Amino acid sequence: MADIAFHDDPAIKAQAQARLRHHVAAGSFVYFPAWENGQANVIGAVVEADDTPAYAERLGYPIALAEALPGLVNGFLQRDEAAAFAEAWLARTPVGVDLSRIVSQLVLFLLDDAGLAAITGRHLELEQCRQTIMALHRQAMDGDMPDRKAWKSVRMAAVAATDRIGDAPLDRQAGGVVEAAAWPGTMRTVLRDTLTARGTLDLTRSLAEIDWTDEKESRVFKLREQAEKDGYKAELSGLERVFAILDGDHPALARGFRQRLQRLEESSAQYRSIGWQAIEMMENAPIIATASKPANKEV
Amino acid sequence: MRNATEQDFDEIVMKNDKPVLVDFWAPWCAPCRALAPTLEEMAKEYAEEMEIVKVDIEANPKLAERFEVRGIPLLMVVKNGVETARTFGTVSRSRLDAFVDTHIGAE
Repeated sequence: MADIAFHDDPAIKAQAQARLRHHVAAGSFVYFPAWENGQANVIGAVVEADDTPAYAERLGYPIALAEALPGLVNGFLQRDEAAAFAEAWLARTPVGVDLSRIVSQLVLFLLDDAGLAAITGRHLELEQCRQTIMALHRQAMDGDMPDRKAWKSVRMAAVAATDRIGDAPLDRQAGGVVEAAAWPGTMRTVLRDTLTARGTLDLTRSLAEIDWTDEKESRVFKLREQAEKDGYKAELSGLERVFAILDGDHPALARGFRQRLQRLEESSAQYRSIGWQAIEMMENAPIIATASKPANKEV
Repeated sequence: MRNATEQDFDEIVMKNDKPVLVDFWAPWCAPCRALAPTLEEMAKEYAEEMEIVKVDIEANPKLAERFEVRGIPLLMVVKNGVETARTFGTVSRSRLDAFVDTHIGAE
């Protein structure tokens, strides 16, 4: 049963949860790599291999959802929080729900965004592509999968539209989001790529709001590099050392750098929010009726 | 998707009847790893139009030298034994599709 959570078998869910719990309890749950020297990420912990297709196949998750999962976990900057999310992911996926619409649902969620629309709205062709891609995902969710040519046509149009809108980073990145989403939900990297493109766009917009530029980023990097060479403030380490240098010698840059860190944290929070949104969508997905149990009721 | 080495590269790539998309990669290269699932999927999708061949430049340094590979991931199109296009660095799935469409003419 493709895209039916845990293939409607509670034993599959229980085994996956047990394997994940084992790694969390043993302290061998990591963000990366997927599976190496006894350490495992959200995928490797369950299938005991660096094998995302196996995770999707064995547990009944759409491959695009499985491919995006490590990225969602990465949004949790503390490892215990990441582990808690990974456990919630399995625990809150009801056995037997139909997950075949989830990827398109999430891509739609990422495309149907006021900030993105504000940018694409300034470029008629790109906005038309965004609308067409959203319509194709809605059509797929209604069970009428658009054919390959329809996706390809709008994808090529989105690439061409992005190429025509100039070099402004925000405009190009908005184009990148639209391009990334121009694939059916069955395509392995569509959700991961759209998430990444949205993350890049949102972070660029956020940093632009506080006037944090590449030049400032470069200045901080060079100051830190020089301090390493000179042994300056060597009694400190990590961010503490960076702030000691900036606060002491470059207070304006220090203020900007603090804001930058705050914006990065907010960007991670957005990833976390999308992760929880995905779980809620799975909880609300329809349950497939089987001979052994009535519809709309979980075993 | 096949792997080519210094020993069999000419046979697999240069003498191939179909256009070939060569992926120069290395095991330590994170962007190369990120690209791998996309290439696996493309290999199936475009099986009739082209072949995708991977070259590990760490294991096959002479191929990297021969094709002047200065950074990875690097994707190179070979048609009838001649390089016709290349793209370097992280490239989105949609851009890669457009690249293949332009240089291989896949439908």
